[in-house]
Amino acid sequence: MIELLGNLSEHLGLPVNASSHGHMLDQMNGWVHWLMIILFVGWGIFFILTLVKFGFLNKEKVDCEGVKSHAGTYGEYAVILFEAFLLVGFAVPLWSLVKTDLPDVTDETVEIRVVAQQFAWNIHYPGIDGKFGRTYATLVDEEVNPIGLDRSSPHGADDIVTLNQMHLPVNKQTIIYLSSKDVIHSFSLPEMRVKQDAIPGMSTPIFFTPIMTTDEFLLEIKGSAREGKGFEIACAQLCGNSHYRMRGFLTIDTEEEYNAWLDEEAELLEEEGDDDDW
Amino acid sequence: MSSQDHHEESFISKYIFSQDHKWIGIQYGITSLVFLLFGFTLMMVMRWQLAYPDTVIPFVGWMFEDGMLSPDMYNSFGAMHGTIMIFLGVVPMVVGAFGNYLVPLQIGAPDMAFPKLNMASYWTYLAGGVIMVYSFFVPGGAANSGWTSYPPLADIATTGQTIWLFGMVFLITSSLLGSMNIIVTIVQLRAEGLTWGRLPFFVWAQFVTSFLLVLAFPPLEAAGVLQLMDRLAGTSFFLPSGLVVGGEILNVSGGGSPLLWQHLFWFLAHPEVYVLILPAMGVVAEIIANNTRKPLWGYKSIVFASVWLGFMSFIVWAHHMFITGMGQGMSLFFQTTTMIISIPSVIILSALFITLWGGKIRFNTPMLFALAFLPMFGIGGLTGLPLGLAPTDIHLHDTYYVIGHFHYVVAPGTIFAIFAGIYFWFPKITGKKLNEGLGKIHFFFSLIFINGVFMPMFIQGLAGVSRRLADGGVSYAHAAGVLEWNEFMSMSAWLLGVAQIPFIINFFMTIFKKVDGVADPNPWQSTTIEWTDTTSPPLGHGNFEIAPVVHRGPYEYSVEGASEDFIPQTKK
Amino acid sequence: MRFSKLMSVLVVAGLMLSTVAAGTLKGNVNYQGKTPKKKTLKMNADPVCGSSHKGKVFNESFIVDEKNNLANVMVWLKDVKYTGTVTETPAVIDQKGCLYTPHVQGIMKGQELLIKNSDATLHNIHSMAKTNKQFNFAMPKVVKEKKVSFAETEDPFYIKCDVHPWMKAWVGVFDHPYFAVTDANGNFSIEGIPAGTYDVIAWQEKFKMKKHLTASVTIGEGETVNNFTFIRESKKK
Repeated sequence: MIELLGNLSEHLGLPVNASSHGHMLDQMNGWVHWLMIILFVGWGIFFILTLVKFGFLNKEKVDCEGVKSHAGTYGEYAVILFEAFLLVGFAVPLWSLVKTDLPDVTDETVEIRVVAQQFAWNIHYPGIDGKFGRTYATLVDEEVNPIGLDRSSPHGADDIVTLNQMHLPVNKQTIIYLSSKDVIHSFSLPEMRVKQDAIPGMSTPIFFTPIMTTDEFLLEIKGSAREGKGFEIACAQLCGNSHYRMRGFLTIDTEEEYNAWLDEEAELLEEEGDDDDW
Repeated sequence: MSSQDHHEESFISKYIFSQDHKWIGIQYGITSLVFLLFGFTLMMVMRWQLAYPDTVIPFVGWMFEDGMLSPDMYNSFGAMHGTIMIFLGVVPMVVGAFGNYLVPLQIGAPDMAFPKLNMASYWTYLAGGVIMVYSFFVPGGAANSGWTSYPPLADIATTGQTIWLFGMVFLITSSLLGSMNIIVTIVQLRAEGLTWGRLPFFVWAQFVTSFLLVLAFPPLEAAGVLQLMDRLAGTSFFLPSGLVVGGEILNVSGGGSPLLWQHLFWFLAHPEVYVLILPAMGVVAEIIANNTRKPLWGYKSIVFASVWLGFMSFIVWAHHMFITGMGQGMSLFFQTTTMIISIPSVIILSALFITLWGGKIRFNTPMLFALAFLPMFGIGGLTGLPLGLAPTDIHLHDTYYVIGHFHYVVAPGTIFAIFAGIYFWFPKITGKKLNEGLGKIHFFFSLIFINGVFMPMFIQGLAGVSRRLADGGVSYAHAAGVLEWNEFMSMSAWLLGVAQIPFIINFFMTIFKKVDGVADPNPWQSTTIEWTDTTSPPLGHGNFEIAPVVHRGPYEYSVEGASEDFIPQTKK
Repeated sequence: MRFSKLMSVLVVAGLMLSTVAAGTLKGNVNYQGKTPKKKTLKMNADPVCGSSHKGKVFNESFIVDEKNNLANVMVWLKDVKYTGTVTETPAVIDQKGCLYTPHVQGIMKGQELLIKNSDATLHNIHSMAKTNKQFNFAMPKVVKEKKVSFAETEDPFYIKCDVHPWMKAWVGVFDHPYFAVTDANGNFSIEGIPAGTYDVIAWQEKFKMKKHLTASVTIGEGETVNNFTFIRESKKK
């Protein structure tokens, strides 16, 4: 029943869902839209009936007392109950599940940092050791070291930093530590049903599990207007004149592809090294 | 020589620095209509950029560099559209114009409690407006960080933001002066016999609204001054440490919080939503009661609901901030209050719907606008539900769904109520009714096109298209499927602009129309004091020849045994 | 008529005289030290940038050839009393393939800088000047040209693109035309310098103003040669 009614969400024009929690948010959205439709259609029918009956047909008598039945009151109680149900049944448990119950970090968890800036997304991978190197604002160099990573810090040497290109393996719990260098941005992955403000001075963890690779997604959207274009990172908070172009790219790989990509990035790092000590 | 009675007022003291609430109301009304048109024009230009990104704008292109709206200018226009529509258009209209003109007349008072304060309120508002318009001409253009002015972006923005803050300080001060005046007037100057239970609902709505303004604006004024200090005096109330802008470390002491601003801002801006909507509900209630020829259904419950609404509006603000990183406790509290606040809204709206039942409905222009308000506000209110519930807000936050939602509340909601009010009280102000034929043309085309503008926003929002994108989403693949709506919405917006021409013609045509004889003081056969105890337009300063005495409630329509189908409030 | 002819002769003679009294400063800039590795730019951050280049694109902050000649070094005279006019032709900076061309240039105070966008993508041009007024505006792909100018003299500062953070160009603003930037072979040449003794400054972006080189050079008629060598100390570890 819950799922059946929630299936309204399939007709709302939402993007394809590609995360493990997305369908629950969508179903809740379906439920809320049911409530909206029922109320609006109910009001609408009453409204039109009334206008016809008392606007065009009734020319004589006015019934000052008007509606005597208590249907309206019962209707209101029904709305209150429905809202309470949405709140207790969906909103509270879903919020924990999606936003606040941070999963434990295991060997299988993918942890990355995302540092937003005007107008790009810096993606920081911890490298082979699985630990992030330290970053300092004083080390920031937009050309070569946009997040101010200290390569000489204990875990910094093997860290990988990419610009606007985020890769994640499919079916793995992902935790992203989100922050910003300058102004407030909002990290949005529409297909993952993920959106979180990136606020300077704060590091906010977000977590989700992608369940669809980019290749699968491209198949799924074949024939639609966006055919051939994979997942995107969008900025959802006005951040300056080029906000509308603050777009990143998300690729969901199979585990092998992901590891291969990481190796490739690590090799590049090895090749170019860091000897930028001026 | 001093004379207390009937001294000739000079032109300046009568029409410019007037202390008569009626003339100040008219000043407010005309100024805010001009600003509404200006704010709408900004949007019509922006809609060109959204429909046909990066092409030369026809007609007004010569005003812009390269004939186009650059992304910087787009952001300026967006921020100023919001600011002008809310703070210079709708609020001065519903509170400054309607409140000023009608409240004293409806409660049988000779004027507002503090006429000089009233005058000061208008001139402060005008100064704020002039400052805001001036900001378009400073280097870097007008404020461009959104009408919400979130720091750090607003803290590091161009000079326009400073001017914006100065302007806001004036506008807020004006609103504070005006709302204090309305509260005192309603408490102190009600006519004899006009008990709280006999107040027209419009007066109740103004009363609650004024409390919202008085209590909600000071935090924003404080926040505005703090932001001004951040920009001018090198403080960092809203700036954390370690900011790197454009690759350079920002030279500030840091330690501030960007979220502090959001809390202070939304602490105002949520009650502000009810400042926009409550007076509109008041207008609509008066017109519906009058044109169904029956009392408001559930007067007590809607008065109670509006007070409840006012109170609740102070504890829902953080539902604008669900995705800033909010814990379970906070989100639960604000979701719950948000669900609770929907109840009084539903009560008021239901009561207005139910009032129609059993009436003898007259379809004149004010009534048409008032009737359209109901389903339109209904859509606005209902679409607030998925935004007010945190989990569903994740996908919809900061998308066009939000834009659609609040515009349904404010545009076909409040602005339709404003038009209803203008058509309804125009004969009060001028002694002449606006032309019904032109009025109906204005209504039907406005209704069609305004839905054409805002309905597709829900479609775009559900697809995940962000707001405030200077190219309307062209850059993003996920917007590709719903992009075609941009042109449709823009066309609708321009046609909506065209649909206002009959109103403008009607407005001036009626003002300059010559009518013989004395105007009918009560053309709508209304019960309330402003129609029954004065001429239309009312006498000069002082309103009433004889102070009215009230004997009954505001909506005694179709009373059995009465000679006419209504009994005025002041009739024994 | 006669009088005006006389005048023009005088003017021409004066001009020749001033040319005769002016000299040219030439030289080469060399580098000593460990050559840093080239760094690939992450052009995949914007597909439009990526597709405009065939192979890898490298960071331009340090370009040195196999003979250790250093390109993109700005050389200028310090404290010149210049009373001539401002160059009328605008200096040009182009945004092409998501790089700035030229990477380093000098411009006169008051001279126009023509900013071009040859790319089919949005650039945002953000000057990080310290003395001059900063500017920051977006140039969507359809906006091909903008003009700016600088009102104050200023040591080299950079202009960057916030959409493509790797994009950086350096601009020095002078109140005289006696400045030059070294070519790929590390050579520079400043012409038309009035005779006299000057402090000449050589600046390279990695060495910054902190480690700029200065030489005192006397300019007479004809060519004067002065070479510079930037030395990078090896790491003490």
